[in-house]
Amino acid sequence: MTQAPEQRPSPLSRRGLERLDLLLLCTEALDLNGGEAMVWLSEEMGYTSLFPNRVELWKRRCYNPLRRTTRRGALVEQETDALIRILNALADRLYPMLRSLLSSAEPPEITEQRWGLFRSRLAELIKERFNLRRGGVQRLLDPVEGRALSRQLVQALAFSAGPGGFERLKASLQDAAA
Amino acid sequence: MKLTTRYEQTSCRLELEGLPDVSAGQGDQSLGILTGFTLALAGHTELEGKREHLQALLQVVMPYARYLLSGVARPFGDEASPVLIAPHDQGHQLMLRSSQPNTEPLTLQLDDAELADLVRCLDLLRNDARVLVPFDLPQLQPLRRREVLNREPLRRRLAAPLVGVAALLLAGVAAWMVPLPKAPPASPAPVATPAKPG
Repeated sequence: MTQAPEQRPSPLSRRGLERLDLLLLCTEALDLNGGEAMVWLSEEMGYTSLFPNRVELWKRRCYNPLRRTTRRGALVEQETDALIRILNALADRLYPMLRSLLSSAEPPEITEQRWGLFRSRLAELIKERFNLRRGGVQRLLDPVEGRALSRQLVQALAFSAGPGGFERLKASLQDAAA
Repeated sequence: MKLTTRYEQTSCRLELEGLPDVSAGQGDQSLGILTGFTLALAGHTELEGKREHLQALLQVVMPYARYLLSGVARPFGDEASPVLIAPHDQGHQLMLRSSQPNTEPLTLQLDDAELADLVRCLDLLRNDARVLVPFDLPQLQPLRRREVLNREPLRRRLAAPLVGVAALLLAGVAAWMVPLPKAPPASPAPVATPAKPG
């Protein structure tokens, strides 16, 4: 007799889910095909049983409380682990771009142009999908605070990439609420 | 037989030299005894060291990156440790103390990209199945509330409760200034007289 895999509740709080979805959104802002890449990676990594189609993948991301239409409840650990692994792979693919944004060796005008492009795409996606009445969303769109927050997000993506990124990011998403 | 492994990123190259630990039954291609390593960081001198130096580097750089991922920039390593890393001038300062006497510590300034490259190289090393050298590294843990609080500036942390207290005080003062309605003068209560029948 085969045993069904244990469905453990996710150790991620609502805040952790919020941050995970926000980081996934950043990968979409960095790569115009980010949404497609996410679906493709999910299939490549063998998560078809967890997320059979893009709608199911989308639904899991909607547990982010900052979303316009947020879903209540919690995800199971298998699902959040899969989402973290997808993010880890996406960040790895985007690492050269993340690196060029973070590097001080690049000409400042070009760096500024890249940041401008990233911030404007991120703002567009946030306005389209997030609840603009939430303080956390307003902070992301604030011209001064948003700048610092977007740098923090890109730095977080850089440390989430690569072979040690999954464990590091998973631990970080379980941080206690401030 | 001497073995070398190399991990490279744009601004960082880490090379390990060692031998298989035959006494522990390791295969020819396993690096179980580390005899030395070289670390080249772009624009800086090439560093050389032994196992304990690499261990000290891992012990400060890995938790530093872990905390940065949670948005907390705090130093790791102290005056006594051979490697120290701390946030400095919008980047990161890595200080390496030589075990040779009368040698000034070496200070390297890294930007975010160079630190990310270094962390990636160290991640590759830690996840390399051929490298069997035990590096005692603490388990990755979620940050406690107190540690997370440090990333929020005190002003922002106090803003919400202070505004709340101020609003309560204002409401209290406003309520105190509104005159109380006067009680109507006491008048004898009308007595109902029962209607006489007929």
